[in-house]
Amino acid sequence: MTIVTGTAEARRRLQSARSGVLRRVWEHRADYAYVLPAIAVMLIVIAYPIYYTIELSFFKTPPGLQLRDKIYVGFDNYTNILTSPVFWKVTWNTMIWTLASTFISFVLGFGSALALHRDFIGRGVLRAILIIPWVISAVAASYIWKWIYHSDFGVIGAVLVGLGWADRPPNFIDNVTTVLPSLIVVNIWREFPFAMIMMMAGLQTVPEQLLSAAKVDGASAWQRFWHVTFPHLSSVSTVTILLLAVANFNSFIIPWIMTGGGPSNASHIWITHIYELAFGRQLWGVASAYSVLLFLILMTLGYFYVRALSGNERKEGSA
Amino acid sequence: MTRITLGGAVLRGTVSTALVVSLSASALGAPPVDLSKWSPEYVRSIAGTQDFDTAADCGKVTPLDYKGRLTFWYQGVFEGDPDLLRQYYKEFFETFRKTYPNIQLEEQALTYNDLLDKFRTALLGNAAPMAVRLQILGGTEFAAKGYLQPLKPEDVGYSTEDFWPGAMKAVTWDGVTYGIPTNNETMAFIWNADVFKRAGLDPDKAPATWDDVVKYSKQIHDKLGISGYGLVARKNAGNTPYRFMPQLWAYGGGVFDEATANPTYKEVELNSPQSKAALQASYDMYVRDKSVPVSALTNQQADNQPLFLAGQLGMMVSHPSDYNVMLDLQKKATGTDKDKAQTVIDNMRYGLIPTGPDGKRAVVFGGSNIHILKPEYVEGGKVDEPAAKAIICMWTSPEWSLKMAYAGSNPGNLNGFKTKWMKERLDSIKFLDVTTSMLPYGIPFPALPQSPEIMNIIVPDMLQNALTGAMTVDQAADDAAEKVKSLVEGKL
Repeated sequence: MTIVTGTAEARRRLQSARSGVLRRVWEHRADYAYVLPAIAVMLIVIAYPIYYTIELSFFKTPPGLQLRDKIYVGFDNYTNILTSPVFWKVTWNTMIWTLASTFISFVLGFGSALALHRDFIGRGVLRAILIIPWVISAVAASYIWKWIYHSDFGVIGAVLVGLGWADRPPNFIDNVTTVLPSLIVVNIWREFPFAMIMMMAGLQTVPEQLLSAAKVDGASAWQRFWHVTFPHLSSVSTVTILLLAVANFNSFIIPWIMTGGGPSNASHIWITHIYELAFGRQLWGVASAYSVLLFLILMTLGYFYVRALSGNERKEGSA
Repeated sequence: MTRITLGGAVLRGTVSTALVVSLSASALGAPPVDLSKWSPEYVRSIAGTQDFDTAADCGKVTPLDYKGRLTFWYQGVFEGDPDLLRQYYKEFFETFRKTYPNIQLEEQALTYNDLLDKFRTALLGNAAPMAVRLQILGGTEFAAKGYLQPLKPEDVGYSTEDFWPGAMKAVTWDGVTYGIPTNNETMAFIWNADVFKRAGLDPDKAPATWDDVVKYSKQIHDKLGISGYGLVARKNAGNTPYRFMPQLWAYGGGVFDEATANPTYKEVELNSPQSKAALQASYDMYVRDKSVPVSALTNQQADNQPLFLAGQLGMMVSHPSDYNVMLDLQKKATGTDKDKAQTVIDNMRYGLIPTGPDGKRAVVFGGSNIHILKPEYVEGGKVDEPAAKAIICMWTSPEWSLKMAYAGSNPGNLNGFKTKWMKERLDSIKFLDVTTSMLPYGIPFPALPQSPEIMNIIVPDMLQNALTGAMTVDQAADDAAEKVKSLVEGKL
């Protein structure tokens, strides 16, 4: 009689599983060969920079030394960042920037998509006009808005003063209180068309017969929207919100061009601050530590994004 | 309060120059021009007295039939420069290609505010150009880091004495020279005489002191409802230190002791009572009197130019080139704007930068330098030295160092003042004699690798912290001093 212990059984299962994995890899060796170049490129352009950034985050890089002469400081950069009031100010700015931009862009985009989903004269033209902010260069848009907002001779100020509604032009971007909301408005203006396009695509997938059936059953317009349309858009909404959030976390062009993070750091968000630390102040180690922290946050968001996508696929598969 | 006339100021400048020169001349020998006689009259007297054959001179450094390849980055013209300067830049590269037809030149122009960032990034990837023309602020940083090859004027056929002693300091690190000055500049004070008159001020007199600037700015604003002084406080923009440091030094302050004859850069003085007084003056104009453009925190000088031309700004600190910029902008104006702009141009006046309460006058000794990189940091790992020396010889020649600074600054090579083009320039560039008169008051930025961060980030941050009310004047100055201290002590 053979006595099989629990440990031996577990080892046997593990070996069996391993040989199973290896067998499957071998069976699909041609497939792996096809994706190998892509994996190699990813390792070079993604994995190595990530590794190097993490490594650099443990070093100090004084302005008088080359990067290769960097000084090991352990977790000092992380400690300095987390105890710096500027870090918390910039983090707070980033949160406000990301949440406000994402939420309002999504709501505006969704509203526009619903409005444009109906058939009316001039719909095509209006749709094209609304997409313009998204397709024009962010750099050009930033310069245009800088002039629109200009605190001395901006367009808005001139109109308000001309109409007698203000004594002097309002101070949008040279004031620590108003600068961030002003930049958020520009960001929303630029990215709400993206949300609109995504949601318009989503609206095409809502089955017309379900809406008709609900109407026959006496459902009001709101009930049809809430109980039929909205549930069908939950997946595309999740993906849109996540994409907007990731893009907003990574924003650089608008705040950098319009204010350079100022005045007095009031419009610095993480990416602009990291840029200034690295390229303006040459604090490559501190900037790397910031980047590692940002990477962890974005990876978390990415995880939810992939989960949302997988959820969509599962739903579509089961439908 | 002491009022100082232009003549008196020139006299003071002459005396201080004599001191500077006596300190440097003993070590360096005699310069080609007599700096102790420096005055608008002297500059006029030497202009057009000597001819130079650039191609022949540079041919002795690198033969004109030399075959090679050169990658070259330079701080080029930007939106605030006059068209005249663009033309000279274009002509320079055309002439270089004609003079050295077998050198394959790959040049790239970058703006002042972008150059340092891009150059630093390229160096990290060993992808720098073979030669680079940097702002005066950058030379020491890259020399200290070991990126630059030793390079002195003698290497391209000139003498160290052919260049301003202050400019040579900015290319010297640890006793070794790493570059050659291409041009040197000092700014002047510009005002609109018509605005002054309408505000009840003497239209022909610049404010004598910075305290007067504060008063005049308020008076202009209160009487006419326009901005008085063109304050600039944007971060990461060279315009900010170029306008604030003269004010800081005039009040007797400084980042260190850079305004003294023999600076040691040991003690941080950004939070001294004198430095705080200078910051207070900016605060008074921006916050208390609201007499300067609100947009000063995000503006640079290029934004002040249209304001000035539109008659919406009474005073500013800038180059002589601003007169040409105004002419260029006026040409582009339409309708009644054209006439309004012409009125402003007719009323444009230049004077010496005001003094501090103790009569101290100062201005940033600015400019640019040209350098050769070490091969290991250059794309491809090779530097074509003869080709690099050819372009450096040409750019720093009396002819081209003058032409490339035609409207905006002054030739790095002092022999440029003797050329016929200097004579032509004195006749055609209005107010050039005033800005040239400021040269003896020029103070170079601290020759430290940390200078770019101090001048482009810490000083503007200090201004912004005080002007936005994020900190009091005292707190902002103390905060900035602490940051400078941490930076130079290597705590960051």
